[in-house]
Amino acid sequence: MKNFGHLLVKEIKELVNKQLIISLAMMILIFSFIGNVTKKEMKKAIAKQKIAVLDLDQSELSRNLIGTLNMANFIIEEQSGEKEQVIKKLQTAELGLLVVIPAGFSQEVSNFKPAEVETYSYLRGISLSGTRNSEVVRAVLNTTNDFLSNQYLKKRLPDIDPAEIKTPIKNREFILVKDRMAEGSSAAVIGTLYAQSYILPIILMMIIMYSSQMVITAIAMEKQNKTLETLLTMPISRQAIALAKMLAAGLVGLLSAAIYLYGFQMAFSFPTEGLSSVTGGVAPILKQLGLTIDTQGYALFGLSLFLAILCALSIATILGVLAEDYRTAQSLNIPLVFLILVPYFISLFADINTMSLPAKILVLAIPFSHPFFAMQNMMFGHMQMFWLGLVYNFVFVTVMLIWTARIFATDRVLTMKLKWGKKKVVL
Amino acid sequence: MTPVLEVEGLKKNYGQLQALKGISFKVDQGEIFGLIGPNGAGKTTTLRIIATLLTPSAGRVTFLGFDLKKNPEKFREKISYLPEEAGAYRNMRGQDYLEFMAKFYAGNQEEIKEYVSRGQQISDLGVRLKDKVGTYSKGMTRKLLLGRALMTKPALAILDEPTSGLDVINSLEVRETIKSFVKQGISVLLSSHNMLEVEFLSDRVALIDRGQILDAGTPQELKEKYQAPNLEIVFKSSVRSSL
Repeated sequence: MKNFGHLLVKEIKELVNKQLIISLAMMILIFSFIGNVTKKEMKKAIAKQKIAVLDLDQSELSRNLIGTLNMANFIIEEQSGEKEQVIKKLQTAELGLLVVIPAGFSQEVSNFKPAEVETYSYLRGISLSGTRNSEVVRAVLNTTNDFLSNQYLKKRLPDIDPAEIKTPIKNREFILVKDRMAEGSSAAVIGTLYAQSYILPIILMMIIMYSSQMVITAIAMEKQNKTLETLLTMPISRQAIALAKMLAAGLVGLLSAAIYLYGFQMAFSFPTEGLSSVTGGVAPILKQLGLTIDTQGYALFGLSLFLAILCALSIATILGVLAEDYRTAQSLNIPLVFLILVPYFISLFADINTMSLPAKILVLAIPFSHPFFAMQNMMFGHMQMFWLGLVYNFVFVTVMLIWTARIFATDRVLTMKLKWGKKKVVL
Repeated sequence: MTPVLEVEGLKKNYGQLQALKGISFKVDQGEIFGLIGPNGAGKTTTLRIIATLLTPSAGRVTFLGFDLKKNPEKFREKISYLPEEAGAYRNMRGQDYLEFMAKFYAGNQEEIKEYVSRGQQISDLGVRLKDKVGTYSKGMTRKLLLGRALMTKPALAILDEPTSGLDVINSLEVRETIKSFVKQGISVLLSSHNMLEVEFLSDRVALIDRGQILDAGTPQELKEKYQAPNLEIVFKSSVRSSL
């Protein structure tokens, strides 16, 4: 046990080297930079929009329209003078949009004729904030149309609420999950679940990928630096050597994934003021539908993830033994990365339950698939599939660990090589 | 003399290839036993089996009464192996490398200090021990590894081409170090294709070719038997007579 701890510390020190620290620090810096820039642009995009308004009508109706725009979350900067001069001013000022209410506007409306307002937007680039003008134009028009149509309806049918005429059919939406039912928007429920869980597959992918790469590299470097033979003659069991490498890789992989994720969150976590109110409204529906995970659920998910990491580490350990040097190790890691990417993309873009049986079997044969679908399986009551996945991974890990232990206990740890010629593996 | 190591009928097959065809020899306590032969003769395979790196296809190896197949961990506690093409962890300082290796064998801090101190003395790298191994020349790395191999005073030191990569002066120093350590009770099993080196170092030698021991004895006995001035001629004559 003393020697195991001693070796584990060395393995961790070897993995947490200058290159890793620099690359992680660089990644944090880059993500932080991207995050700052993106957030500033996003804030600009969702902030109250300033619009310039030139009221050439100067009627009660046009004043009411400006008041409505003001209430609809726009900051109004009223302009005066000739239209052409105000348009020129738009180019130099920081205003991106000008709304012109032409003379005779109220007259047209009073005669129930289509009235016109003119909007001028000044494009300063193709960035997210630059494109917001078109959104603002649309919002301004919607608000204006809503205002005008309400005015028409009130005049013609003063006893009826305009909203009842505009939307005569009301929809009551119900969602069914297993044997439970709740009233609410299915789009809002799916949106909330997605917003809460989109980060999960990324975490899973990062942890599994980092850990496997670490262990393959650790073993390949022992071979490349000709230190493996000496290490194997030390008074420590071969199983302990393999375990120390796997554990160190798992821990450093976990740490790297956590740092990566922190950077990722910094870069891509957008303001959620709007989202929190939606989530707050959806939360009781989720609870009613049983689409929440309790402590026991999280523990089961943790178990599923732990087994998947062990699967990755054991496969990577064997691949590391096959590698002759660092370069070969990187090549051998590629198929493993692809195996991790398959369930990652499927969890993002497809539904495993609606896939054809052969495709489903192929995906579920990949041991890393199971934690990707574990949460979904638990929430939607596919517990049989969840348990089968857990048992499958347990059996897979057991077989792989026994195989790894056997390889390390015999000559194969030194003699096993991948050959691209007549024989695939020389034992 | 009590034999520390006994090898009987040792065989090793790599698929169809018979690398060792039944090798037998003994190493006594405080003795330097040399295996000499050309490249591919089976020297390194023999050493790797005794160092517990490879499993024999047949035969028996006993060390201090322990059987290799049943108690490989007992071998690892008491032997020290220096492979021909060995390296050290490039990111560690030389001193840290010695300490890291010493901790596997030492029972307490005192022992660690003792081993490291001896390792520093044998490797004779002075202040360079504070530098990272990655900055060492091949010869410096070899001296560090020799220090590592001998610092724990193992019951049996297995040295595969111990002076490989060293210049003449360093080779002489290493040979002297090995000789002086044997006087402290250590047994050494070494291999080399430098037969003059083996003649200088070894108390007894075995001539090995194509997986078989052709002859064994003290250098003097062998030279007299084959009426040869040195072991190179002895080896040549023994190969010719075995054909």
